[in-house]
Amino acid sequence: MSADGEELAKDLGPLAALTIGVGTMIGAGIFVLPGTAIENAGWFAVLSFVLGGGIALLTALSASELGTAMPKSGGAYYYVNQALGPLFGSIAGWSNWLGLAFASAFYMVGFGQYVQAILDIESVLVLGPLSLPSVKLIAFLGAAFFILVNYVGAKETGRLQNGIVLILLGILAVFTVVGAFRADPANLPPGEGLSPMLTTTGIIFVSYLGFVQITSVAEEIKNPGKNLPRAVIGSVLIVTTIYALVLITMAAAVEQGFIAEAQRAGSIAVVEVGRVLLGPIGALALLLGGLLATASSANASILASSRINFAMGRDEIVTPELNTVHPRFGTPYRAIGITGALILLFILAGSVELLATLGSVLHLVIYGLLNLALITFRETAVIDYEPSYRVPLYPIVPAAGALLSFALIVFISPTVIALGGLLVAGAIVWYFAYAKQRTTERGALFEFIETRREDMPDSIVSAASSVHPDGGEFRVLVPLANPEHESDLISLASAIAKQRDGVVDAVHIVTVPDQTSLAYASEHFEDKRAESRALLDAAESDAHVYDVPIEKTTIFSHRSFEEIFDAAREHDADLVVMGWGPDSHGSPGRVESALDDLTTQLPCDFLALKDRGFEPDRVLVPTAGGPSSDLSAEVARTLQREFDSEVTLLHVAADPSDGEEFMASWADAHDLSDATTRVETGDVDEVITAAAEESTLVVIGATSRGLLSRLVFGSSILDAAEGIECSVLLAERPSSRSIRERLFG
Amino acid sequence: MDDSGDSSHGALLAHVLLPVANEEDARRTARALEPYDPGRVSALHVVEKGEGVPDKTPVAQSEEQAEAAFAAIRGVFPDASDHVAYDRDVLDAILETAREIDASAIAFRSREGGRLLQFLSGDLSIKLVTNADRPVIALPRGDQTA
Repeated sequence: MSADGEELAKDLGPLAALTIGVGTMIGAGIFVLPGTAIENAGWFAVLSFVLGGGIALLTALSASELGTAMPKSGGAYYYVNQALGPLFGSIAGWSNWLGLAFASAFYMVGFGQYVQAILDIESVLVLGPLSLPSVKLIAFLGAAFFILVNYVGAKETGRLQNGIVLILLGILAVFTVVGAFRADPANLPPGEGLSPMLTTTGIIFVSYLGFVQITSVAEEIKNPGKNLPRAVIGSVLIVTTIYALVLITMAAAVEQGFIAEAQRAGSIAVVEVGRVLLGPIGALALLLGGLLATASSANASILASSRINFAMGRDEIVTPELNTVHPRFGTPYRAIGITGALILLFILAGSVELLATLGSVLHLVIYGLLNLALITFRETAVIDYEPSYRVPLYPIVPAAGALLSFALIVFISPTVIALGGLLVAGAIVWYFAYAKQRTTERGALFEFIETRREDMPDSIVSAASSVHPDGGEFRVLVPLANPEHESDLISLASAIAKQRDGVVDAVHIVTVPDQTSLAYASEHFEDKRAESRALLDAAESDAHVYDVPIEKTTIFSHRSFEEIFDAAREHDADLVVMGWGPDSHGSPGRVESALDDLTTQLPCDFLALKDRGFEPDRVLVPTAGGPSSDLSAEVARTLQREFDSEVTLLHVAADPSDGEEFMASWADAHDLSDATTRVETGDVDEVITAAAEESTLVVIGATSRGLLSRLVFGSSILDAAEGIECSVLLAERPSSRSIRERLFG
Repeated sequence: MDDSGDSSHGALLAHVLLPVANEEDARRTARALEPYDPGRVSALHVVEKGEGVPDKTPVAQSEEQAEAAFAAIRGVFPDASDHVAYDRDVLDAILETAREIDASAIAFRSREGGRLLQFLSGDLSIKLVTNADRPVIALPRGDQTA
């Protein structure tokens, strides 16, 4: 069903995707800012818009590649977090969120200007002792309206969206064509030089914010491999062309000084030029266009910001509570409410130019990071990074995209840079104060540095680990079933949790017959409840011996074994310590194949104890390498530290000298060089059984995927384990899947 | 599965389609239906599509919502099957699914809220009752379930 469902979830065709980009971008940027731009930069304002489009295009190419590789909600934030880790993820997420809020506030102030011009309202309204600029008042009311629309989830149709975009394109096309006939190079106001041109680019860059929004709805686009790059790149090209033509018209079709005069008179330059070119009807058409454009941009940005909140919440950069869906409206109302409050605040607090430039500067930060994210993915050769679209001329395109984005920031007014810097600093503080303890995503860059510790300069390695997320506390989940094994399992779990400064999470899973509803069971199974309480209280006192915090849960479930996996996922466990044997967790579910499927996707590390008493005095670790033996080595080291256990490493090899070599390097790599090592030849099972006679605990890594499941169900127990008389601890670590799952799952 | 309809309640509750919006709604709806001992139960969650505009919630979140709702249903009816429909028109999706699975009736629990709330979220109850091509059962609100 899910494959089917995924297809059905995709209802955005190529045109719809394109109009989302164009519709979001054509907004207050082109309807409000050209006057300011020409006043500041002369006819170079045309170049400002073209340069802005160029930077946007470079980033659009990168966004297309990332979007086809990871069609995930959250767009730019998501890619940066996955590539550069949560510190930069935090910066990108907050910049994206606040950047969109500033941009939305700017759109709404533009909307206010247009409404004021249409209704011809006094520019200052006096209400008793208060005097309010009417533009801001209208902007405030308008924003409140669009926030409400998104809050209750009333939706315009795709047709309406297409209609609006078509009307806008039509109005601007007529405007530029007529303008072209009247254009006279003599009218061009002289260019003001490079520096004002770049400063202007920084202001008007807010006109190019929509294209990344397309990647954030990538999951909903039909055939995204093809349509996503087309929509992203196409929308930037279309919009850049229109902007350039509009600016040329405005600079060349009216006399020099006309724009400056209109600006001084406080009227909207685009509309005034329209009045000259097309008469009152032209002015009216442009007024209408400005109204539609600013409104649809603001509306789209409010929704887009909730997508970023969703992705940030999923990674616990912000609290996932933010994403709660309204029971009635089906909208992420909290995210929309908070974004809305920010927008209203910004409208009251900032001027048009300040809002536009802050929106620009924060987005330039994101776009710079987005390009770096692409370079990181390519250079660290992340497995399964398989974009169906690849940027041309790599690495020039993303490198230029990153460089130009960051460089343009330099030319923006110092006040805005300082404010933007403050917000970025705030995001960094936020990361260390809040997100670092919670988020788990490490980022491809960190993984890359980690796997090459030796080849990297120490300063880089230590810098990387100082920003490394703690991923919340280390959580050891202990599913309890048989009271006989409770104490041993909790002791083992507590020892590990203590060494890792973590917590023990004891879960008693009560199996309920299929015929009984779970709700009924949880209310009526009084005896079960009492039993559960007793078991968990015992667990608590065992954990207290180790001075480890413990959490207790009772779960009523129709399933037993499967529930452990669910609980591990839901509780976000780092390690599960469970019993293994006929009296531990009953028989598996009815469907064998479904279970195989489950166990091949372990949600975290698993330790299964075949319990014959927990005595960690002499620990034997047979190893043949592999991820699960890494886990058995970690466990052995933990036991060594906690109980001063004597650890013996055992390797069975065909050739003794090869074996010695393997053993030495393995022990060294796993920080166990102080352990006794034994290399033997012969039958693996017999050797292990013989060696186990001198041990109190055997810790063995599962050698093949799914071994754990077979052991737990007793269908194919390792021959060696049968003969061993002490306790056996089976360790299984999910294989390379994990990275893939985290990235692309 | 085929033994539905053999109970004394006749064919009306032989195969009931339960459209549910979220976990809480699903739990309450299922509990409201439980006393009437329906034959087969199929749960349906409709993801509202815009056909040209982005959804209200990201796809991943919509799926989470559906999954949570189905889990709540299965808490009461362990054998309930589940369906996710994607449609611009929630009503259409409900009727369409009912036809597809050949449901004997559609059961729903009207949700609380005054006229304004009904208007804002689109009053489905009336539309469902007026347009359905099969019996529609309005379950008691049963606010006694705390």
